[in-house]
Amino acid sequence: MPTADTLSAPTPTRQKAIVEAHGISKQFGELEVLTNIDFSLAPSEVVCVIGPSGSGKSTLLRCLAFLEPYDHGSVYIDGQLLGYEDRSGKRVRTSEKRVDEVRAPVGMVFQHFHLWPHRTALENVTEALRLVNGLSRRDADVDGMAMLEQVGLADRAGHFPESLSGGQKQRVAIARALAMKPRVMFFDEPTSALDPELVGEVLDVMKKLAADGMTMVIVTHEMGFAAKVADRVIFMDQGRVVESGPPSTLFRQPKSERLQQFLNTWRERHID
Amino acid sequence: MFEILLNHYPVLLKGLTTTLVVSLSAIALGLVLGVLLAFGLTSRYRLVRWPCGLYRSFWRGTPILLQLLLVYYLLPEIGIEIAPIHAAILTLTLNTTAFQAEIFRSGISHIPAGQIEAARMAGISAWQTRRRIIMPQVFRLTLPPLTNEIITILKNSSLISVIAVTELMRVSEQIASRTFQPLETYLAAALLYLAVNLVLARISAYLERRMVGGLATE
Repeated sequence: MPTADTLSAPTPTRQKAIVEAHGISKQFGELEVLTNIDFSLAPSEVVCVIGPSGSGKSTLLRCLAFLEPYDHGSVYIDGQLLGYEDRSGKRVRTSEKRVDEVRAPVGMVFQHFHLWPHRTALENVTEALRLVNGLSRRDADVDGMAMLEQVGLADRAGHFPESLSGGQKQRVAIARALAMKPRVMFFDEPTSALDPELVGEVLDVMKKLAADGMTMVIVTHEMGFAAKVADRVIFMDQGRVVESGPPSTLFRQPKSERLQQFLNTWRERHID
Repeated sequence: MFEILLNHYPVLLKGLTTTLVVSLSAIALGLVLGVLLAFGLTSRYRLVRWPCGLYRSFWRGTPILLQLLLVYYLLPEIGIEIAPIHAAILTLTLNTTAFQAEIFRSGISHIPAGQIEAARMAGISAWQTRRRIIMPQVFRLTLPPLTNEIITILKNSSLISVIAVTELMRVSEQIASRTFQPLETYLAAALLYLAVNLVLARISAYLERRMVGGLATE
């Protein structure tokens, strides 16, 4: 039950963290999918979360965005508790509006893109600019075109999602998230639903973002990408963080047996 | 049959007008209320879902003729005087609200949850998400069953003759008993109902063709 947990302010870390989680747990019915996870993300840091399917990595990301309410522990975005509040000593869910406020700095990209099919590429990008930021259609279109430009799709502005390739859809989805000027971007397996030859164009956009200093959390199966782009890699298994560290150490000298095994399986599949 | 149409067209047209006024009012009101009831049926709060489900079950599960008589006789009992035509509009509205809500509910359930999550992550409020992301797609998805419901209400409006509203059906009965030509008269009435419904079906088909963009998939 999501009650009676610590509500104290987050302990200050080295740099002021944008996202910070303390001891979060999550159960789906009887199944514990996350167990006591601590997480901290500094500005401009790129963290990749890897692990076998069912390890809880997507659930972790969804809890950090409060798309799944976590049961125990706390998540702070920019120092503000996400999803819960203290009401006379009891922990209760906040309003949807408050959730929106606290996670406003977070942009999210999904495995299955989730573009709105009745809106053109440009309208997908400008929708929130108009509804949330109150921009006029003209101003929103200018901003939106700049975003599409950034992901190399200005020439597809008037296309509906059904006529875009998977890679193009995902790039529109990235532009849509970027339009709201997020301070941190969450990617939930952004290339897992793509044909192999379309993975590159999406990863290229993400590399560019990382190089520009965007703070990112990326749940991914792309080990090569993680090795090149991540500042830190987190390996999860069975709802726990097994090991984490810079990619050079994590991939070259994995300490835990579970990670060694995971990496070996991966190598066997990709190098043969 | 054409003789009947020619000789009695002023009354027939008046009856048809009443039929159209009653049914189209009910359909339009039912559209607004139906959307709201569909939101109620899909609410995450059981306390909202439950009474909405009860309402839906009652109006969908009892005959429309009985509903008409209930409204017509019940309202005066609780001190509300109401003209037959208003009682008719009220009943048809309450009835079609339940059916339209059920149509919209099924449409809403076909929108992938991820699209809603994407909207919420972009900061779009729950209400705006319904208005701008969910409902435009739901109207496209549900246009065929919605057209069906509109036609059903138009035909069911013939039942309101029992509470003495002089719509097309009742006018036809009057002409039939006056002219002793029931078959011709009712054929003429059938022709008028059919004409209106064909026009409605054409409008619906036109709207379906005109829609641009894709639909929710997955």
